This record gives sequence, C-alpha cells and structure tokens, in this order.
Amino acid sequence: MPDVEERLRSAMEHAAPDDALDRILASCGEQRTPLIPMTPPARPRRRRWQTAAAAAMLAVMLCGGLGLHGWYGANRTVASVVSLDVNPSIQLQVNRKEKVLSADALNDDAAVILEGMDLRGTSLNVAVNAIVGSLLQHGYLSSLSSAILISVEDEDAQRATRLESSLTAEVDAALQTAAAGAAVFSQTVAPDAQLEAQAQTSSISVGKAALIRQVQSLNAALDFDALAFLTVEELQQLCSSGAPGMPIGAEAAAQAAAAYAGISLTEVYYEVDPELDDRTPHYEVDLESAYGEFDYKVDAYTGEVLRGTADLPASSVQIPAADGILSQEEARTIALAHAGVSQADALGLRVKLEWDDGIQVYEVEFRSGGMEYEYNVRASDGAILDSDWDLDDDAPVSGTSGTSGGSAVLDRDSAVAAALAHAGVSAGEVFGLECELDEDDGRRYEIEFETARAEYEYEIDAATGAILKAESERED
Amino acid sequence: MLFLTVAAPSPGDGAALDNCIARIAGGDQAALAQLYEQTRAAVYGFALSILKVPHDAEDVLHDAYLQVWHAAGSYQSQGKPMAWLLTIVRNLSMDLLRRRSRAELVSWDKYQDQLAERPAVTPEERILLSSLLSALSDEERQVVTLHALSGLKHREIASLLGLPLPTVLSKYSRALKKLKLFWKEAN
Repeated sequence: MPDVEERLRSAMEHAAPDDALDRILASCGEQRTPLIPMTPPARPRRRRWQTAAAAAMLAVMLCGGLGLHGWYGANRTVASVVSLDVNPSIQLQVNRKEKVLSADALNDDAAVILEGMDLRGTSLNVAVNAIVGSLLQHGYLSSLSSAILISVEDEDAQRATRLESSLTAEVDAALQTAAAGAAVFSQTVAPDAQLEAQAQTSSISVGKAALIRQVQSLNAALDFDALAFLTVEELQQLCSSGAPGMPIGAEAAAQAAAAYAGISLTEVYYEVDPELDDRTPHYEVDLESAYGEFDYKVDAYTGEVLRGTADLPASSVQIPAADGILSQEEARTIALAHAGVSQADALGLRVKLEWDDGIQVYEVEFRSGGMEYEYNVRASDGAILDSDWDLDDDAPVSGTSGTSGGSAVLDRDSAVAAALAHAGVSAGEVFGLECELDEDDGRRYEIEFETARAEYEYEIDAATGAILKAESERED
Repeated sequence: MLFLTVAAPSPGDGAALDNCIARIAGGDQAALAQLYEQTRAAVYGFALSILKVPHDAEDVLHDAYLQVWHAAGSYQSQGKPMAWLLTIVRNLSMDLLRRRSRAELVSWDKYQDQLAERPAVTPEERILLSSLLSALSDEERQVVTLHALSGLKHREIASLLGLPLPTVLSKYSRALKKLKLFWKEAN
C-alpha cells in the first residue's frame, strides 16, 4: 500500500481549489508597501542581567558627557532622527557627524529613563548605550519576551541603513553583555510629514508610528490611536500574526485576570506578557497575591480567562497547617539525592517555599560540578514536579563539564541509554523518542522523550557522555 | 526496533520560495501565482485541518495569499518561508474559528457530498479526507497534515502549533496509525 502521507498529499492536491488564483489576483490591487524592513529578532538569551553591566554603560555615558565641553555650533543641522521604543519612547536628533543635538522623552516613562542625563553633544552610539543601560536599570528589556525597536529616520537612505545596522549591533551587544533577554528590532523610515504629525499627536516616536502603519497595512480596520497604546512588542507580534484584530491590551488583561481571581489589582504585584503570535493569541498574567503566585492565560481578543484559578479568596482556604508539609531540610535532601550531589558539594544552595498555581512548592536551587540544578518539590508529599539541570555559565570550563570539540565517541544508543538511566525510566515505557547529534553547538546529543507521566529533555556530551542538561516536567 | 523514514515532501525548496516572496514584495503577480501553485495544497490542507469546513478553508486560502501580497515587503528571510506562510494561515483560521458559531461544523456525510463536487478527488481520496476529519483529534489532524503537505520538520511544526516536540511526535505517530487503520477498515 502506498504511504498514507503520500495519499493524503495527493488527495489534498485534488481537493484544494485550483480556480482561486484568478480571484486572488483580481483582489490584489496596489500593494500597501510596508515602510520598514525588520531585522529578525535576536536569539533569545538567558533571562538574567547584571547591574554591573548596566552601571558600566552609564559610566561610559558620563565619560561621553564630558566630551561636551568645547563642542557647540559645529553642526547644528539635524541629519537623522533616531528613536528607541520599548514602552518608554525616546527620540534623538542627530547631526551629520552623528552627535546628539537633542534627546527627548516622548512619554512619562521615558522621562524617568532620561532623568539626570545630558546627552547633548555625545556621540550617538554612546548615547544609545547609555539609554539602554538606563532601560536595563529600570527593569525594562530583561525578560525574554520584551523588545526594543530602533528606528532611523533620514532623507539619506544609505546613511539611514548604515546607522540602523550599527545601532542594532551596538544594542544587541549591550544586551548580550547584560545577559538581558529582549529582542532587538530595527527599521529605517523615510521622512514623512503626515507620519510625524500623527506621531506627535499621539506622543509616540515616528518609529513606533511607522510600526503602527505597518500593522494597519495588514488590517485597515484597526485604529491608530488605539494601537499607539500598545507596546512595541505587542505591535511586533501583531505584524507577525497578520493583525487579525485589536487586542485588549496588557492592562485590560491584568484586570480580567484579577477579576477572575476575585481580587483587586491594587493588592497584587503583577506582570503581563503578551503572546499575540501564539496559536491562541493571549496574555500571560502573573499575579503575586497574598494567596500566593498564580498564572492566568487571558484571550488577547475577548478578554476571556482561558486558564487560571478562580476566586482566590474562596478557594484559598487551602493554607495547610505547618506540620502538614515537608520541612525545608527534607525538600533539600530529596533534591540533592535526586541529583546525586552531597550537601557539602552543593554551592549556592537555596530553598524557598512558594505557592505555584495553588500548590505549595519548595524551589531548590544549587550548583555543583559545573552544573546548575533547579527542582520544584511538592511540599505536601515531596514529589519532584520538575527538575532542570543545566551547564553553569559562571563556572570555569572544566574537562568534564564543558563540551569538548572532539569527535563523538559515544554512539546514539549509549547516549539514549544514559538519558533513560538518569530519568529512571525503561525503554519500554518511552514514546516519541528523538535523538539528534547537534553539530553546531559543540558535539552533543539532544534527546527528547515522553512517558505517560512526564516529558523529558536531555543534552549529553557526545565525547564524554556527561549530562549537560536534563529537564523533566510532569504531565498532570 | 523499526525505523520508519518518510521523505519530506518539498513544495518548493526554501530558497525558491524565498525568491518568490522577494519578487512578490516587488509587485510581481506572476511570482504570487507561482507561490500559489507550489503551496496551495499545504495552505488549504492546513486551513481545513483547523476549520474542518471546506468553504471556510477556501476563504482562508484566498485571504492568506492576499495577505502575502501585502505583507511580502515585511517578510524577513530566515530560510523559513513555509513557516511564515503557514503562520498567516493559522492566524486567519483561528480568527475565523473565533468568529464562527459551533453550529456551522459540517458532518461527516455532508463533507463527503461536498468533496463529491470536486471531480479531481477520487472516491478513495474522499474516504481518506473524511477519515482525516472524523477519526483524528484536532491536533493529530493538524500535525499529520503539516507533515505530509508542508515539508516542515517536526520541530518546526511544534513551534508553529505551540506544542512541545514530544507531543507533536506522539500525535504524529498516533495519527498515522489511526489513518492506516481507518484505511484498512474502509477497504
């Protein structure tokens, strides 16, 4: 019998309309040329940043600021306008020599970022670095899902493109140094009086206005002013998802989650993460309340709460008596035993009791032998809900923990066997097993599999057989 | 242990599709026609696998190529033109799904009738397509359709559908088994 997939392919070829092309071409009309080419998002980086890096950048800015003396009148004509948008929107006017003529905060958030900085007369790259440093210090750009948009508006298209790419590289490097997670987007914008007027009316940068125009080119029904309230990240996600409608916005999503949870937003610390380009466009809302930490998934277009615990005050009579749960020491012992690490060898050991979606969980973290370990141990019975082993980035590279550049000596079956042994599962109960030798990133096997109870991901050093990463997540 | 290798179908390699999209960005309608010819089965199949209503899938197909026409200028090649195109299809389908009332779902028999209107579809294919819609879960259907028609790798399918890779792999193998079984019974 021919392959089912092949049959399916042929069936779909026959079932798909072959007469739609004429109608499509007839409706094409004039192209709504997008204004901006976007650079692809930077590779996601680990979510962590060091204040030292941000401070260093501010220091650079201060040194740069000293260069101001003696500089005046040389060239005061604006050649390019550079804007940086996160939620704070900042606009820099720059002369031909790439010196900053003015730095303007376009909204209140931006005023906080620029507070105490005098960027006039500094080189553009120094100013941009300083602003990124200040954004980092104020907690922007740290999460993996945040985004910064760099826009260059210039009559000279060549200069605009050059500036765009040098600034993008600059910001990317700064974020990398700070190990911040934000993606960097950039664009060049041709000067456009109407766009500038629109931007000014809405107190946003020309760059953000151009991005809004791009969203509108995908869906003309969306209102400019309403879109201006969205963050760069939301706008970017709208672009990549075809802008099917007007999302409710982060604030409304948080309100919806809080109402569902039966609490007021004023009583909690909350974070909202838009996922408009997800299969189900939604906002992830994280509420840290007196009842613990709870995650909600809110439909981005209807505001309906798709997942989360309702009515916390009523359902949270769950706080059990202290003697009903494991002690910190017991949780620590369970995690250490699972990792095969003795307490004496565990560095930076930290145990924290937390509420996670209504369950009390001990978060146990430690480092040992060049690896970082993270465990979630259920406080009621000591079950390991998830575990995460990873190479410790801060540890000096040692012979056993680093990936070696040599050729693979471990064969595929042995690598799989090592992963299964570590997970404590037999080959018979495993399905969806995948094992790939990653040639790009050192030589390591990437192994994934599933059992009826959990999903696992491993990375095994192909030369030494060492476990470089081990993740398991229970399927409840 | 049995290793099953299925050659990934190629609706046109990535570079050729990239080139097509670049030409569409320059206003070249012939390039849009070429893209349509190379990808219409995958676009229609994926939309159908989400929507389960042939007429709706045709509407999404129409809108998706129009959107490609207007958005091609903002497409940044990362060597994944098919994933880009199918993301547009997914979003349009999900949007339609949200707006549509559940009552509009078509029954198995009705779908058979609708397929009968297409002379190119053989009776055998009619059975296969109907079983695709009736015997598989939504996710199984989407995974197997994407794998058979788009040339996307399991990892890319996982990312497109927002599912973990192991889930995609297990759904894929279950879906194939079910289809084979259905096929056997139908014969």
